[in-house]
Amino acid sequence: MRGFIAVDGGFEALVEPEEARVLTSLAAQLQSLLGEAADDEALSEEDAAVARLLPDAYRDDEDAAAEWRRLSRRALAERKAGFAARFAAALAEATAASETTRILIDEAGGLDWVRAIGDLRLVLAERMGLHDEGDEPSEEDEGAAELYHWLAWMQDDLVGVLDAGWGE
Amino acid sequence: MPALPTVPLVDESTRESTREAVGVRELHASEVPWITIVWNDPVNLMSYVAWVFRRHFGMDAATAQRRMMQVHTEGRAVVAEGNREAMERHVEAMHEYGLWATLERSPR
Repeated sequence: MRGFIAVDGGFEALVEPEEARVLTSLAAQLQSLLGEAADDEALSEEDAAVARLLPDAYRDDEDAAAEWRRLSRRALAERKAGFAARFAAALAEATAASETTRILIDEAGGLDWVRAIGDLRLVLAERMGLHDEGDEPSEEDEGAAELYHWLAWMQDDLVGVLDAGWGE
Repeated sequence: MPALPTVPLVDESTRESTREAVGVRELHASEVPWITIVWNDPVNLMSYVAWVFRRHFGMDAATAQRRMMQVHTEGRAVVAEGNREAMERHVEAMHEYGLWATLERSPR
């Protein structure tokens, strides 16, 4: 993958088919998790990744936290599923391609991407048991760790171009 | 960040006459300031968190960097102050960005 550069109409990257397939698969898993979580509040207690994707808004006030969950949790899950869906949609062509594909996203698309990528990293971190500052992935999580670091690179890269575009 | 309301919280022990004299009025519950707190997590990139602060709160680069470092080193930072509804909107926006944020009453 070649990182994003600002072009007319947005930001452009070059993605390999295999990379696009991996990202699309991750996005589909994220959408499915969020879809389940939207309908099932108890999933936040069973799955720390869900609790991290859809955190409580109140820390020391359980009544207010419960009210917040009742009013806002589902919509937040749906918006996040939307970020992941649009992220995957932008990759659809590259996923089906047999050669390096040019991807063009606008600023709104860029926001979908950084958010979806961030959510994927939150889930991967939970799955690898990274809870505290300085926790490192174990050796058997090598594959996930590689994805986790690749996504970090991608998010950082995108923040850089969005930032540059923002001031224009 | 939004400034604090200029009206002080009422001390119940204050005599009515004094209060009238200095023009103090009781705050409605909706005016009691709340704060939005962003908590540290080991996942979100420092560059991303600072960018979110600039983008969402309109902080200048130096302020965003300082707040981000405060989250990172102290475990939390207050990023906004105001009425409850506004803080709920900020918290929701932070959650959309994947940051861990909560709101609570401003300590006084």
